[in-house]
Amino acid sequence: MSQESLVIASRQPQRFNRVNNLLSLVSLIALLLLMLFPLFMITVNSFKTDDEYYANGPMSMPERFSLDNVKSVWERLDYTTKLKNSFVISFTTAVLGIGLSLLNSFALGIGRIKGKAFFLVFFIMAITLPQEVLAYPLYYMFKEVGLYNSRLSVVLIFAVLHSAFGTYLLTSVFSVFPRELLEAAMIDGCSKLQLLYRIVVPISRPSLSVLFVFFFILTWNEFFLPLIFLVSNDTQTVPLAIAMFQGQRGTVVTFQSTAALLGILPCVIFFLFFQRTLSRGITVGSIK
Amino acid sequence: MSYKSSRGYWVFLIPGIVAFLVIIVIPMLANIGISFTKWRGVGDPTWIGLANYETALDDKTFWASFQNNFRLIFAMTIIPTCLGLVLAVFLFEHTARRFGQRTASFFRAGFYLPQIIPLVVAAIVWRWIYQPKWGVLNWLLTTIGLESQTRNWLGDADTALYSIMGMLVWIQIGYPLVIFMAALQRIDPELHEAASLDGASPFQRLWHITVPLIRPELFVVVLTTSIHALKVFAPVYAMTSGGPGRSTIVASYFSYRNFFERANVGYGATVATVLTAIIVALTIVFITIQTRQEQSEGA
Amino acid sequence: MNHKMLRLVFTMLAISIVLATGVVPSQQRALAQDRVFRLWHYEPADSAMAISWNYALEQFQAMHPDVKVEFEEKVFEQIQETGMMILNSDDVPDVMEINKGNATAGLYASAGLLTDLTDVAEERGWTEVLSPSIQTTCRYDENGIMGSGNLYGITTYGEFVMVYYNKDMFEEYGLEVPTSLEEFEAVADTFVEAGIVPLTLGAGDIWPATHNWYELVLYQADRELISNFQFLQGDVDFHGEAFTFGTEKLAEHVEKGYYGDDATGVIYDDSNAAFVQGTTPMNLTGSWAFGGFTTQITDFEWGIFLMPGKQFNTGSGGNLFVVPENAENKDLAYDFLDLVLSQEAQTVMANAGGIPINADISQIEDEKVRELNAAFASIVENDGLAFYPDWPVPGFMDALGAGLQELIGGSMSPDEFLESIAVPYEDYKSSLE
Repeated sequence: MSQESLVIASRQPQRFNRVNNLLSLVSLIALLLLMLFPLFMITVNSFKTDDEYYANGPMSMPERFSLDNVKSVWERLDYTTKLKNSFVISFTTAVLGIGLSLLNSFALGIGRIKGKAFFLVFFIMAITLPQEVLAYPLYYMFKEVGLYNSRLSVVLIFAVLHSAFGTYLLTSVFSVFPRELLEAAMIDGCSKLQLLYRIVVPISRPSLSVLFVFFFILTWNEFFLPLIFLVSNDTQTVPLAIAMFQGQRGTVVTFQSTAALLGILPCVIFFLFFQRTLSRGITVGSIK
Repeated sequence: MSYKSSRGYWVFLIPGIVAFLVIIVIPMLANIGISFTKWRGVGDPTWIGLANYETALDDKTFWASFQNNFRLIFAMTIIPTCLGLVLAVFLFEHTARRFGQRTASFFRAGFYLPQIIPLVVAAIVWRWIYQPKWGVLNWLLTTIGLESQTRNWLGDADTALYSIMGMLVWIQIGYPLVIFMAALQRIDPELHEAASLDGASPFQRLWHITVPLIRPELFVVVLTTSIHALKVFAPVYAMTSGGPGRSTIVASYFSYRNFFERANVGYGATVATVLTAIIVALTIVFITIQTRQEQSEGA
Repeated sequence: MNHKMLRLVFTMLAISIVLATGVVPSQQRALAQDRVFRLWHYEPADSAMAISWNYALEQFQAMHPDVKVEFEEKVFEQIQETGMMILNSDDVPDVMEINKGNATAGLYASAGLLTDLTDVAEERGWTEVLSPSIQTTCRYDENGIMGSGNLYGITTYGEFVMVYYNKDMFEEYGLEVPTSLEEFEAVADTFVEAGIVPLTLGAGDIWPATHNWYELVLYQADRELISNFQFLQGDVDFHGEAFTFGTEKLAEHVEKGYYGDDATGVIYDDSNAAFVQGTTPMNLTGSWAFGGFTTQITDFEWGIFLMPGKQFNTGSGGNLFVVPENAENKDLAYDFLDLVLSQEAQTVMANAGGIPINADISQIEDEKVRELNAAFASIVENDGLAFYPDWPVPGFMDALGAGLQELIGGSMSPDEFLESIAVPYEDYKSSLE
């Protein structure tokens, strides 16, 4: 936000400003509450006992706020292990995914290789595939190399899947990358690799940060492929664990809510933390 | 750029190409191959040629599922993109300017939250909301006097798909919002200032300045959300299992059912292949349009 | 700044990869000094089955002090859907719980993924403990159809469907437990007239209505029809007497308002909740809900009765314990199976509110549990176990359940419904020939 625009904004009539401000703030908050209401429901139901739920339904408030549910669920799910697994898998996948995306987009968007459209389609084919398609072939392939039921299998798959989107986004953005900068650097004798990490990466930091957050969270919430490839309890991730309370006949609703709440919290914390980095690392007009 | 300097860039594509061949291309080809067989998932597949495809042509569920996917594009692409854009512009220009970047970021985070939670969780909650007897939606309608509008949201074939769409919009809005807000930062604010000094309305500025400038992100959002709508699986899996009847079944769920519940792997592969073909076609069209646009805008 | 960022990213990447690849769980890499016995099941930890099996595990550990016992509570969905992949790999436990029926156990057996237990069962006397009708779900032929063939699994409990009813509400309206279908309908009519929905139903989920339907079909069924239907043999006429009667009856009941207006929007858990809260007087569901009701119902007296006036009842032996073909410690597996079938473990199950197959009913302390077990015993004695309607064909639940949702919702007629389930059934049957 440049200084000048702030000045212009403040020149408008004061009273209109205040009422307008209040209205917009209120409507935003209302909208936000509407969006977040479901999460509130989960929280409320996490603290109830099963009997309370059956007696009063999901809309009622719990009688007391005890951490009993949390304790039982944590132990029963071996939640510490699941958290660790989810974190390792999501983090590694995000990093690998960004790495692959960067390399691909550098070649396509900055290097402007011949057949760029062909490669874009080639990479995006990964997003076009419904995940079920991958299940059987990769199952047999991973079984051969002993990767079935390992976290690495999931990391590899998702890094590649996410990098399809990452390549697409970054290529679009790199295509409109300011050429003057690149040319200036090349004239200064930069090698392509230096071009990548000295110029391109720093300037595209907002996009990279967004991608990292996306990849981390997307991977964290994945259910289907982990269901197939992570079979024993020591490799499983948080979303799989939440499904534990969905029995063959009927669900333990309150425990499932608690598990759900525990499953949401790490992601929310991660996202909020990264929010600050996002806003701090951004500078409009860095070109100037 | 001259051909000479683009040559050096090929090296950078190698890791990507290798990874994709292994994880994507080979399974995809394998899947096409499986679609010509009858297989239970273990043991040896039996070759049956195009029989699966013939079955699919006559299969009502097969057609119904694709129909539903196209309907879902409305809820997963069109609405979130438009709403997301408006909200992004609102937060970026309006809120950030008057209340500071922090406040705008706060709201952005809040709206993005539904994207963060596992779909299983969202499904649980929305089933509570749509419950016919004590669900939030019917309760709300009754309280404001619209009791006649209460429905058996998920249990009535007429409303089930729309109910799922409602949940999908809720989940999807955060995604275009965040992408567009990052995109808006690339726009030089002086363009907007000049335009408003010239008397342009906010809508005119949006349409003539903002939209063209964030075209890369617009393309990405529309394409990816459309693909997402065609591939959608988890919400149906968690909310309605395709029912009531066939009203909410989608292609991905139908192929999954054949793969895993019916152990009819060959047929599942057929459905998946058709779905993939549709998505690939859509993608090719899109990317060709986008690349041509970029080229015409000039390097 | 750039260098630091890069370095940081690369180090974290390295660490993460090390962590991710470091501990690759695999049976081959386990320290081979101690033997490890692995058991996987998905019954809830507080269920009678789990309690009884834990008891057996303790006895097992005492029997084999040098063996490391590893039990994993599994996610049902995962075992049900990827069971075949798991069994086809090396990462299998020594004993695993799987669903009985052609669609799961039958499929796995015919694919050669399960150990043939026929000889072991004879040696160790299991075939004496398991009555013939219970054994139906333990034996599968080379096509994966139950009823005959080798023994691939054992079961330790039974399950069946019944009507749970609210005694207080019955008393309030002067109603007695019905002894025939007509009396049952009269009871329901009384409630409808009083403005109360008589039966709760969670048709929002795909499987609950199949029990209501099948119970009505059984009124006109005989053992031959049931066997033909379940074992995919002989001729099954879906437009014949039994199926037509059951379907039309269900449609009739729906129209009379027995299930209320919104059954298709209510999921199973919520339908149980309606019964627990005393809103609906009757609930036709299975013995698996018994334990929950015992703790949750505090406001009224309740009891059970079988759908009256017929010989056959939806029910069967419970889920199976199988020994995967790729299991490492089959001998340990057999020892464990001995223990879960023993009278001691079975009595533990009885006292925890379950339906064991090898316990002395008179030893059960709780009156309600005794009633439950007596009901099951009476079905078995009368050769009344009719199994479950979705078993014959893999994936049959979809056609059946979805069709019933449409029937109840009024968008399908009984004839259309019967046609819609006849097709996948016949298709699968002919594919076996």
